Amino acid sequence: MPREVVVTGMGMITSLGLSLEENWKNLCEGKSGVTRITSFDVSECVTRIAARVPENFEELSRKYIRKRAAGQMTRVARMCVTSAKMAVEDAAIDFDKVDRSRCCVIIGVVNTGNSSVEQGTTLQNTVFKSMSNSMPAWISLEYQLTGPSFAVNTACASSAYALSLGLEMIRTGQADVALVGGADSIINPEEIRGFNALYALSTANEVPEQASKPFSKDRDGFVIGEGSGMLVLEEKSNALLRGAKIYAEVAGYALTSEGYNIMAPLTDGEGMARTMHLAIKNAGLAPENIDYINAHGTSTELNDRYETMAIKKIFGERAYRIPVSSSKSMIGHTIGAAGAVEAIITALALDRGVIPPTINYRCPDPDLDLDYVPNVSRQATIRCALSNSFGFGGHNATIVLKK
Amino acid sequence: MAKITENTREEVAAIVRDFFAEECEVDKSRIDDTTNIIKDLDGDSLMFLELIEIFKKKYNLDIELKVIGKYAVKHPVTTIGQLIDMQMLIIEHENRLLDLDNKN
Repeated sequence: MPREVVVTGMGMITSLGLSLEENWKNLCEGKSGVTRITSFDVSECVTRIAARVPENFEELSRKYIRKRAAGQMTRVARMCVTSAKMAVEDAAIDFDKVDRSRCCVIIGVVNTGNSSVEQGTTLQNTVFKSMSNSMPAWISLEYQLTGPSFAVNTACASSAYALSLGLEMIRTGQADVALVGGADSIINPEEIRGFNALYALSTANEVPEQASKPFSKDRDGFVIGEGSGMLVLEEKSNALLRGAKIYAEVAGYALTSEGYNIMAPLTDGEGMARTMHLAIKNAGLAPENIDYINAHGTSTELNDRYETMAIKKIFGERAYRIPVSSSKSMIGHTIGAAGAVEAIITALALDRGVIPPTINYRCPDPDLDLDYVPNVSRQATIRCALSNSFGFGGHNATIVLKK
Repeated sequence: MAKITENTREEVAAIVRDFFAEECEVDKSRIDDTTNIIKDLDGDSLMFLELIEIFKKKYNLDIELKVIGKYAVKHPVTTIGQLIDMQMLIIEHENRLLDLDNKN
């Protein structure tokens, strides 16, 4: 029987808050973290809004990261390490009582954050700030962990891949503890202009908090978010032995690629459906066991259409009775962090019996007719849930969490 | 070549101590010549390079990093006192630093 894996600690930083509880409260209240960009000149950008992490993040990070190390990290890396430390605190795990060689660190990294808006880059720290492996390295260094430590990049599915690989490391006996997650920010003029050129971003600048509207008829692209999410995964019997709080079991996963298009998802959500099917199977479950889906739900024309079609393919008539919500409606698309951040939200939904809503759902699309938990959070008993992540390049991941 | 005066060592020592106090977030009073850079201050080798840049600018030194690197391999630095002594030698001898070993 494979080893069971549970989530015992979580840390997250998004536009809606600098702690797990602050984020959860704001998510359940259906708040938006999207605002006008004021941190740089946006005159050359069509999109002028984003979901930015609050300014007082730096104050928080100083509590967790030594000045010397902080200067060698990008702001994104500081978000990652801060979230990791909050997750370790939350798990109340003492690494002196654990075999450090059996602790691994796996981080989804798409952008290191060493962009034109990064501050304090010098010749001496340029390399460290640009190393795509810097985030797992800093976390391993911080706790002197000597198990496998690496970064994985599968675009918007990166940190869902990191979580899946952490699960697999523990399942197969290669590790007992895995620190997994991701951090990202593409709130900079070059990335915004690039995504604008692909017509991927919302340009609803007038009312920023209403710009991200997944599954709505008037959706016009995703809103860039930033942040980090980190989870402590442990082998279940070890976690129980030390009396750890268990948020959820990570019951299964699937990783697939579509081999189809560098940007567009496979027609009619075929790849998305295959990923959800394989994940449910990997967890040893059946579609009827799934009570909630935290959707990839980007607010783009194709993702939301195809994800809806994929859910119908897998769940049939029952699809209409499964709540499906998109956290991106509130915190934007956190890219490399999205998989982990949304897995955390899914774990909290399981743990607390509350489903955060899809906000800005005012204009239903007749073709997208599932229960998207419109605008208001909802109490629900959830046995098992899916968290979907689908990335540019056709990289897909679905994670199955179980109470 | 920089002019060495009676006060130069004190000046160098003050810069070194201030630098480590600031970067390592420790009280300056905790740093003396016997302080171990890695064990006591959690410092790193990059700090040595950053200090060299500071002294190069301050004393307008003609010194190549590879010269210092070769010298440091034979004369490893672990304490603040040793670091100050080496900075004094760098200021005094600049690119002729390796000649010191040849003379010996």
